[in-house]
Amino acid sequence: MFKLAENVDISQISLTGARGIILAGLLMMEPRTLSEIKQAFLDYNILDKSSSDDILRIDINTLKVMGCEISRASRKTDGKYVLTEHPFTFDIPEHELKILKKVYKALKSNATIELLFEYDELFKKLASYVINPETKEGLLGISIFKYFDINAVKEMLEDCQNKKVITLIYKKPNAKEATQKDVVAQKLVFNNDQIYLYCYDLNKKDSVMLNFKRIRKIISKRCLNKDDNIEKKQTKIKFHIKSFDKSLLKDTEKITEQNYEGYFIEGIYHNDFVAMQRVLSLGAKCTVLEPLEFRNMIIGKLKEMRKIYE
Amino acid sequence: MSKSLALKRNQSSMQVLKTLLLLLQDNYTMSELVEQLNLNEKEPIFNNSVVSKYINTCRFCGIEILKIHNKYYVTKLPFGLNLTNKEKDLITLLQNNAKKCLSNKTRSIFENLICRLSRFSSKELIRVDKNALELTYSTFESAVKNNKKIRLMFRTKAIMDCTPLEIVEHKGKPCFKVLLKDRQRFIVIERVTGLEILGDTIEVDHSDRSVVFKIYNDLIMRYSARQEELVTTECYPEYITATNRGENKDVLLSRLLRYDSNCEIIHPKDYRNEMKAIIDETLANYGE
Repeated sequence: MFKLAENVDISQISLTGARGIILAGLLMMEPRTLSEIKQAFLDYNILDKSSSDDILRIDINTLKVMGCEISRASRKTDGKYVLTEHPFTFDIPEHELKILKKVYKALKSNATIELLFEYDELFKKLASYVINPETKEGLLGISIFKYFDINAVKEMLEDCQNKKVITLIYKKPNAKEATQKDVVAQKLVFNNDQIYLYCYDLNKKDSVMLNFKRIRKIISKRCLNKDDNIEKKQTKIKFHIKSFDKSLLKDTEKITEQNYEGYFIEGIYHNDFVAMQRVLSLGAKCTVLEPLEFRNMIIGKLKEMRKIYE
Repeated sequence: MSKSLALKRNQSSMQVLKTLLLLLQDNYTMSELVEQLNLNEKEPIFNNSVVSKYINTCRFCGIEILKIHNKYYVTKLPFGLNLTNKEKDLITLLQNNAKKCLSNKTRSIFENLICRLSRFSSKELIRVDKNALELTYSTFESAVKNNKKIRLMFRTKAIMDCTPLEIVEHKGKPCFKVLLKDRQRFIVIERVTGLEILGDTIEVDHSDRSVVFKIYNDLIMRYSARQEELVTTECYPEYITATNRGENKDVLLSRLLRYDSNCEIIHPKDYRNEMKAIIDETLANYGE
């Protein structure tokens, strides 16, 4: 049931009109019998107790004339009136849908997998509300998960939370054949329109990133035990950044100090590759301070890049 | 039910429902509502007092209808789409992103969509009394588009003449990013009480162009083209060529930097030069 407005002067409204709106609302929520409708009208004080049921039938007819499809109350429907179609629904024209996709696209580049799941649910909910099948299809096609097996992603996310040891078959982009790997699932990350599994490779003894789409098969899963002997192989760096929007900090980065030019940031990354990508993407605003080895790696990489543009 | 009863309908109920349907389509003034409603009638049966009564009837049923600048806005439909607070937050996040990534024209289309969604939602999604703020946004964007300088006015009666760059989120607040004496400044929009476009034109090129870049080495196999990209493989396996159209310049350069020496911008020349300048400037940070 929905709440009616308080403090409205009854003489300034059309009671029959109010019955029309409330009836539409009641039937949109769920199918109802005539007596349920009558009881609701009595509760809302928009019908006299002595009124005949024919008044309600006329109200139903009125809705039908206005474009509502209401099935007859029969045995089949448990004596309930079922509203199957109505004009009180919204549609999203193609040009608006295009822009919605564009905004989602901009948003997803910095989004976590969890946030993308929430958007997936939102688009599904909107799709279930609209009646136009093309709009429904358009809304269901926005989410990035249309390209992925969403249940497999959800399962993998759970495995990451439980730090599961997974034996899987993985096909590297350059390799001719797929290989078997034993990895400890750590984190699922959405990056560059792809989902990556950040994990620890028990055979390589190193932190690696696996493209989720290249995982051909999951052979087995088990809980992590003491014998697995995982070394914490993350890359920890300290850098300075000028004129930076703090809201763009990653969840593994924290500001340790601030000076007049910008911030000193400590960041922990899955491996050197991820750290390097992050630092390079920040461009000239960012200067790596520690560790020296990583700083030299960045300098080396930048020199290689300069050569290209010479 | 008798046949005569089946044909009976309630005229005043129909008129209320017609008023509601019209208000769910768009925002109208009273005279526009009366005109629109009478369009399909043989003779005019709707007038100000009748429509006013019907709007009150809608309000009585819990439908929130606000009157702003003489227009009627439906902002809540109690039996509409039932969004949770979390879902409302997701829509707000989309709106914030739209401010950053859309042009003035496309953003108004997006705002229309949210406005309509709000009409059909059981929760208020938007503040409709933001016309003044929207005007400030659109004036700023119009100045950016037309390469014009602006004058910002503040509560303290201070003024600032500067070059508008873009609307961004800075320290969690929507800001105007401007250039003042060759230095970038972030001005919190809520501090701005007035905005005026000045006559001075700025020599800046903001047009959308195609950016062509080569991809080398193992990135060739790992690279997944964006929706706005066209990849050609004529020179594979030496390299592949991607042509990107429409991606924001800063976002694109930041992404291409991440590809380190596996990527080279070919066209346009100013993008290539800018990339080179970024690399030189970054190396200078290390005394190289």
